[in-house]
Amino acid sequence: MAEREERRNLLDEDNSLSSPVRDDSGTARPMAAICDPSRIHHRIVVLTFMCFLGFGSYFCYDNPAALQTQVLQDMNLNTSKFMQLYAWYSWPNVVLCFLGGFLLDRVFGIRLGTVIFSLFVCFGQVIFAAGAFFNAFWLMALGRFVFGIGGESLAVAQNTYAVNWFKGKEVNLVFGLQLSMARLGSTVNMNIMGWVYGRIRDLMGHTGHTTLGVTLLIASSTCIFSLLCALVLGYLDKRAERILNKEQGKTGEVIKLTDVKDFSLSLWLIFIICVAYYVAIFPFIGLGQVFFIEKFNFSPTQARAVNSIVYIISAPASPVLGFLVDKTGRNLIWVLCAVVTTLASHMMLAFTFWNPWIAMCLLGVSYSLLACALWPMVAFVVPEHQLGTAYGFMQSIQNLGLALISMAAGAILDNRGYLFLEVFFCACICLALIAIVMLYFVNYLRGGELNLSATARAKLQKSSSSDSE
Amino acid sequence: MAATVQLARTHLMLLLLFLILQLVSGFILDSDDYRRRVSLELNPGLNSSVPPGVSLLHIQARGASDTLHFLFCSLGAPTLLLVHTNSTSSSVKVDWPQFLSKNDSGSLQVEPKSSMLYSSALVFTRLWEYEDVNNTADPQNMPSSSFFPPYELQSFTWGDLNKTLNSTTRTAQLCGGDGNSSFSNGSLCLAISAFESVGRDHIWPRLLHNANSSQVHVWLKGVTARSNYSRFSLELQTVGSRELPSRVDVVRSIDDEYTPSIFQVSEWVSSPVNSTSPVLGYSQWKPVAYRTVAHNLEGATPCRHSSPQPMAELPPSGLVKAYFGNGYQTSGLNITFGIAGDPFYGVTNYLSWTVLVGLGSPPIDSFSPLVIVIMAVGLGTPMVLILLGGVCVCIRKRQAEPLAYEPIN
Repeated sequence: MAEREERRNLLDEDNSLSSPVRDDSGTARPMAAICDPSRIHHRIVVLTFMCFLGFGSYFCYDNPAALQTQVLQDMNLNTSKFMQLYAWYSWPNVVLCFLGGFLLDRVFGIRLGTVIFSLFVCFGQVIFAAGAFFNAFWLMALGRFVFGIGGESLAVAQNTYAVNWFKGKEVNLVFGLQLSMARLGSTVNMNIMGWVYGRIRDLMGHTGHTTLGVTLLIASSTCIFSLLCALVLGYLDKRAERILNKEQGKTGEVIKLTDVKDFSLSLWLIFIICVAYYVAIFPFIGLGQVFFIEKFNFSPTQARAVNSIVYIISAPASPVLGFLVDKTGRNLIWVLCAVVTTLASHMMLAFTFWNPWIAMCLLGVSYSLLACALWPMVAFVVPEHQLGTAYGFMQSIQNLGLALISMAAGAILDNRGYLFLEVFFCACICLALIAIVMLYFVNYLRGGELNLSATARAKLQKSSSSDSE
Repeated sequence: MAATVQLARTHLMLLLLFLILQLVSGFILDSDDYRRRVSLELNPGLNSSVPPGVSLLHIQARGASDTLHFLFCSLGAPTLLLVHTNSTSSSVKVDWPQFLSKNDSGSLQVEPKSSMLYSSALVFTRLWEYEDVNNTADPQNMPSSSFFPPYELQSFTWGDLNKTLNSTTRTAQLCGGDGNSSFSNGSLCLAISAFESVGRDHIWPRLLHNANSSQVHVWLKGVTARSNYSRFSLELQTVGSRELPSRVDVVRSIDDEYTPSIFQVSEWVSSPVNSTSPVLGYSQWKPVAYRTVAHNLEGATPCRHSSPQPMAELPPSGLVKAYFGNGYQTSGLNITFGIAGDPFYGVTNYLSWTVLVGLGSPPIDSFSPLVIVIMAVGLGTPMVLILLGGVCVCIRKRQAEPLAYEPIN
């Protein structure tokens, strides 16, 4: 789920967007600043809706993790079945990562597309809740599948809106705000759902799948809220188009699957790092709550808090670390640091009884650092016209990895326990470590620019641009 | 054809992996490969027949210089007696008429008496049932009105050990009930296993056992609960020397490989007052019970124990009365199954719990070879890569260096 926003930093460089909002509007009558699409005040209003557009999907994505004990008990599931809920979210996105941009640009258009994807998210969550209510696991899985169809594509739409409205100076800030909002959604979900479940249980007088269903249905109100945002946003965008004569936003993604054969070794190594790293983060967070309860004797509330710390940390850390990586360059070293730190924190969780707050905070920082340093690297090893394909492919195999490893993680936990699961995650991180070390040498031998400092990179850019003149 | 080649290759790979594992496990586990010769004998020294429901199983585990006697008996409350002697020829003598009359200490003896080093008994005395209306699973803070009259295991009718005795697997099983309606379709069973060497069961909790231990698996199956909110707890008592006070240690372990999601081991040990001296005997269990016949994660339910209390008199066990005289003390505790919010007994009508009884210090779990191999390969490969890559880079630099000093023409 979180893999999608890291792309945003690049969207503003690799799009062939329509003209930005123009000031030479044809309107004659004066408007209040808040209603005038050409004024910043109005755009701040738009930004608010944009931020809440993704709130619902982020809130509901981690519902299973937030209610892990309740889902396991009320639905009488084992862990492998529980993790299928995450796998079913990822499956549609193995394909949709290639299609989302196309659908938005060519088929629906951004406004209708956003509303449609929001509807998918809403219906997915409602089906999910219904599955719990009627004690039908297959319906829950179906709900997650539908939810997955909407979720990732909605993020693409959200980015497109952002670029469309804020292209220029503010766009990075907007991306940052949207990211923080997404993290806020995840965090609020992690910490509030248990309480909501408790209240519903008190109200209904018993636990069970109906209680779970009602709780999840309440969670779906956030999706409806996001749908309303999509509708308002669509209206405002249409209105701005009318007033300012601007075009509808485009993702500008061009996906050509035949490009895959031209991918360099470096890019494949980056893919391996990406998959091997993220599969040790998201499935772990999905299973984290019970782990902290069982191993560290945490109360459910504490467990949920420590499980959400990764998201909480990454909200403020992402912009700061992003700035740091931008200023220093040397992405390979940063990625290496992030991978090693993550390995250390997983080993702490596996082999010690140290307070998990330490390990989880480390994990939060290293996860944010990796996101900032890894995703921009793609742009250095791929020609610009293939960037869309490269990112689509990266997300696609990442989702494939997440789906497979989620199921594997559940099965491992059911049969071999948490120690083995943690060792398995360590092995995944070790694979990422192997890939990054290989990437380092490949880059070194081929004289790549992945590990240049920011100043050297700037010099290189200058000389190449002067060459071309 | 291709398939067979593939299959053969897979087999070869598996074999290779197995060999590596064997090698590694050899390094790790060779510290504890002590073996004993185990023999099982039912009702030793008995010529006539015993009254129904009484049987005495004698498990003799002979080592290089000592002998362990495990005696498991259903006369009175089910009891496992452990006697350690420093002689390889010690034997058990039972005065059967006296033994069956249950009132004479000394009717069961291990001879020669001078060879006796250590003895202790674990007695399963009572099964408590209580109505947990508020779903707190905390019988210690519950009004006595919540408790049903306990099942006294001494008054149970037990089956015949002879029918379930299996000399090859070294197991025997004792099932019984109180004859009333609750037990009409169900029973409380105790299965004892003896071991020649180190190993584990196939089913969870997969306690690590060795040649100095035997295991009792207790389960309660198909018993009609007396309330919809029924939970059970089991009362255990140990009898041991007065100089060896008993205590329960809860040891945390990072290793839950064999008992997923359980990171603790409880050890009821008897050791001399001087705390530095070693533990002489133990009962060890993991704080988990299973509510389903297939022991798995969904069916796992935590269990807790109360702190051991000294008891005024010896437990109602024929074996204890026949073997122990004066100078012995009894202490008891309750194992409570389930925690607040867990399903009640009636949901599955099954409850299972396992305890290991043995001599010396309790066995300690260690990482499985697989875990060690994964971590070694996972951490080793990047290191090797860094070294190799570093060397390669250095060599290239060396080769490139002369070029740098070439005169510029």
